[in-house]
Amino acid sequence: MAKRPILGLFEDANYAAEAGDALQQADVSQDDYDFLTDAPYPEGAFGEREERHHLYWFPFVGALVGLTAGILMTSMTQLAYPLVQGGKPILSLPPMAVITYESTMLSAIIFTIIGIIFESRLPRPKMGLYDTRITEGYIGVLVNVEEEQLPKVSALLTQAGAVDVVQENPEPVTA
Amino acid sequence: MAANSHSESHYGPEMWVFPVASQVTREVSERTSAIPMAFGIGLGVSGLLLGLGIIGFVIRAMSDGFGAHGPWGYYAAIFSFIFMVTGAAPLAASIFRVTKSHWRRPLTRVSELFSLIGIFNILLFIPLMFVLPAFRNPNLVPLAENELDLRRTIWFEVPIGATAPQWLDLLGIACLALCALVLLWLSAVPDMAQARLQATGFRRRFYGVLAGHWHGTKSQWINQKAGLALLGAFYFMLLVFMQFTISSDYAQSLIPGWKDSIFPVIYTLTGFQSSLGLMLVILFVLRRWGGYKGYIGISLFWSASKILLGLTLLWVYHMFSFGITYWYGRLEVEQNILKYLLFQSYGWLFLANLIFSFFLPFLTLLWNPVRRSDWGPALAGAFVLIGAFLFSWRIFVGAFNAGDVYNIGLEHVPAFAGPDLWDVLIVLGGLGGAVFIYLLGSRLIPTMCAWEIKEGAMYQHMGTFMRGRYLVLAKPE
Amino acid sequence: MQEGRVLPAREINRDLLRSILTTPNWYWVTVAIMAIIVLGAMSAAGMMINKGMGLTGLNRPVMWGFFIVNFVFWIGISHAGVMLSAILRLSKAEWRRPATRAAEVLTVFSLMTAVMMPLIHTGRPWRLVYWVYTLPFVPYDFARGIWPNVRSPLVWDPSAIFTYLTSSILFVMVALIPDMAVLRDRTTGIRHQAYALMAMGWQGTPRQWKLQIIAGILLSALILPVFVSVHSIVSWDFGMAVSVKSWHSTIFAPYLVVGAVHSGVSAVVFVMILLRWIYGWENYIRHEHIDALGRLLIVVATGWFYFFVMEVIFGFYGREADEIAVRNFQFTQPPWNLWFIFFTGLTYFLPVSLWLFKWTRRNLWIMSIACISVNIGMWLERFLIIVPGLAQKQMFTFDWYTYAPSAVEITIIGGTFAMVTLLMLLFSKVLPLIPLYDIKEGDILKTEIKIGRATVPATFRED
Repeated sequence: MAKRPILGLFEDANYAAEAGDALQQADVSQDDYDFLTDAPYPEGAFGEREERHHLYWFPFVGALVGLTAGILMTSMTQLAYPLVQGGKPILSLPPMAVITYESTMLSAIIFTIIGIIFESRLPRPKMGLYDTRITEGYIGVLVNVEEEQLPKVSALLTQAGAVDVVQENPEPVTA
Repeated sequence: MAANSHSESHYGPEMWVFPVASQVTREVSERTSAIPMAFGIGLGVSGLLLGLGIIGFVIRAMSDGFGAHGPWGYYAAIFSFIFMVTGAAPLAASIFRVTKSHWRRPLTRVSELFSLIGIFNILLFIPLMFVLPAFRNPNLVPLAENELDLRRTIWFEVPIGATAPQWLDLLGIACLALCALVLLWLSAVPDMAQARLQATGFRRRFYGVLAGHWHGTKSQWINQKAGLALLGAFYFMLLVFMQFTISSDYAQSLIPGWKDSIFPVIYTLTGFQSSLGLMLVILFVLRRWGGYKGYIGISLFWSASKILLGLTLLWVYHMFSFGITYWYGRLEVEQNILKYLLFQSYGWLFLANLIFSFFLPFLTLLWNPVRRSDWGPALAGAFVLIGAFLFSWRIFVGAFNAGDVYNIGLEHVPAFAGPDLWDVLIVLGGLGGAVFIYLLGSRLIPTMCAWEIKEGAMYQHMGTFMRGRYLVLAKPE
Repeated sequence: MQEGRVLPAREINRDLLRSILTTPNWYWVTVAIMAIIVLGAMSAAGMMINKGMGLTGLNRPVMWGFFIVNFVFWIGISHAGVMLSAILRLSKAEWRRPATRAAEVLTVFSLMTAVMMPLIHTGRPWRLVYWVYTLPFVPYDFARGIWPNVRSPLVWDPSAIFTYLTSSILFVMVALIPDMAVLRDRTTGIRHQAYALMAMGWQGTPRQWKLQIIAGILLSALILPVFVSVHSIVSWDFGMAVSVKSWHSTIFAPYLVVGAVHSGVSAVVFVMILLRWIYGWENYIRHEHIDALGRLLIVVATGWFYFFVMEVIFGFYGREADEIAVRNFQFTQPPWNLWFIFFTGLTYFLPVSLWLFKWTRRNLWIMSIACISVNIGMWLERFLIIVPGLAQKQMFTFDWYTYAPSAVEITIIGGTFAMVTLLMLLFSKVLPLIPLYDIKEGDILKTEIKIGRATVPATFRED
């Protein structure tokens, strides 16, 4: 059976963390619930799982691509127009170095941006269950559980101090 | 004592350590007066090297005299290296105190102890005063081409007399040493006032005299901190000025036609980079074998390594700025200087310099886990220290052996000047002397600034925030 | 450095989105005035392109004038964004929070403005089309026989500026995603659709926040070397030219970079003071922030002064007659010597003496005067580097002439200032100039430590 989302909204971040504890005690997998906030909390503040990522590989790959492109572009340009200017060698390294440096950095940065978006699991075409109060400072605890568990989780969230529990969004927010 | 356990913290128990204040005074005092065997061996070896250096110096003076500057190239190089590194080192304490970086606290005294080597710098400099060529060309042939009446110097038309710059340089180095010593004293007064209560014999008298009437009153603390900030600012300005004059008088102005406005900046940067590197090496040794593991957390290496990485990038950037401007200039003198210092005569030395001052530290410090260790930043520190030595060797030996200083420009590319036995002894002696003084000083004045460590323990602790444990830092910068 | 009170998220949203969700009367009036000035400048540029470069004051040997001075000036201003944002992020300075976004946006708009200057200066901007990629990896159309110098330092400018502009825009856009989500949740209709598109489905999960924080630091570390390279490359437009005395100096790159940071950070301080005044952001842009920036500026200004002194000393050091001639021109001949006195006074001595005291750093009027003074001074600096050098050029020069700008040039230069103001105003209408989540994060991490009877402000730190 497909899992369905349920969202508890908390005014106090401590209550949201308590909801997390309660969900853990109720054997809800950490992969099945998330905390939605309007600002970054220190990692582990809600007792959530540690998020793994591979973002650091992106700039390295990007730099390598940019370096190769830069070397190719600058060397081929100079070789394609073999005119001695100011006594400089046809294949001069210092002018190549500057443009190659720029292309390396540009590519590293573009790859990093791609990495950030990819690793953040964005873009999300469908928002799913969400509440605009989250960007007003409420903490959302989004749980995905089997349908028959929804009442139990709802009670659990309310018990932990949720000011509201949302199960369905009649007008889903478009992403 | 030792660190609290923060097994729950995000970065493990070694990231931050907060010694218990009540134990700091006793432990620091004990470790300052103790002389372990390894320390004794280090002291003996460095003393021996200093002796050999004196022998090398005497033989050099007897065989070559002070008439020509060429034979003194290696002497100038080792002076430059020691001056560059140890002159810049005391600044670290002042700078990070001004920026209110809490991680600095275990580094402060390690940095300030270098002030003691200022006296050695003065002694090392004195012979160099006599080898600097006169400003006015003594062998000028009237109407000769490519010869200057007055050689190029930063003192221009010499309104101060032909030999005055040497005296001004000496005065500057002496002022710098004095300023550094006052900084050290001012910083160490509270620690010595504590230590005089526990020490006996000579140490008790020594601390008693230097600590004076320090009782730690509010006004004394306010005055001490204001004094440290003001002296630090003054030291900074004086240091940068002296690095400019030494690098210009004893390097740039000795290579005919070398007009390079970025060189004093590169010299200063190399000094900053290598002094931070050396301090990281010392802190690593103190942490691993000096009994200060509970005082020196990984956070110090983590923070300092980022600065070292920044200085390393700045170093290569400035070198590139020099290189590309000269390369594009295409003037004969520029090409010859590039060939001399970068690509031919001292080419291999430049390559080694580049590898140790840039490539190796850069590739080491690029990695987060390496920066978040004690060995990684210390290894990079050792690299940049070697790089700074190679830099001094390349530039100062090159400058002292570049030929006729009254020539309008470098007309040919001089050959590499290798060291003889006496040069090797002089270099080893210089290094040994500096190490000897530092080691000796560390037995009199504690290598940990106890009052800063205690102050730090007040301002930071591990705290709980919701479900995690984090560092709580008061007065964040 | 934490003087403000903790504000609820709703209040932060309301305050910082005020510029977007409400429109005061003065807004459209100011936009209209700026737009008219920009249109005037565009007309002047059009006329110049139509009639020719004779409408400018440029003539042999001074072929680089106000346009290039202004180009260097705006490139300099663009350095503020990365300087503040990247360095303060990397050093984890708490007081960075309200300053980063405005600085980054100023970077983008001043870079865009700077790029226009050399294009206008060419007189025939459509010739940009020659830069077509006819061969793979070869950015020249050699077939036209235009004899390009492929090793010219001028080629580096477009590559550096393109890199910097692209990176800065992406940097700003990534940092805007969470704030777009806030706007998405506060708007309706087409605006909601647009913000939702740009927010890309942001929810604010711990994973997304973690990536966002790492992104800020990682991108800062990557853009920092780019920002240094950009102004270095601009300086090498001059420094590589051995024939123009006073330009061919090895220190030019760091000297101009530090100068750029000096003028850029001053500009950001002025913009922040303006924003505080216009939008009533007293709770966000506080005196402590301006104070900290003032202290930072003392360091930057003194660093700049050191490089300036080195550049001048080594100008004389060479004792070359033609270089001394340029220096004499700069230092002794009116009106250049007067400009020179103004330049050093306005750039260093006046502002630094104002920044030395805490009460002056916390007086917004005095800070505004100091920051404007720096920027007038830095504009003059670029003018005094470029024009006297060319006017006294000796090698292969047979014409002697000093330069005076024409009305067309002055109009276009004036237009660039209006254009940056206009773009900033338009931006403030659609996106927040202070990052909401950064302010909220600062409030979340705020705590206190008790030492005896004293309560000291503190913060939670992850590393």
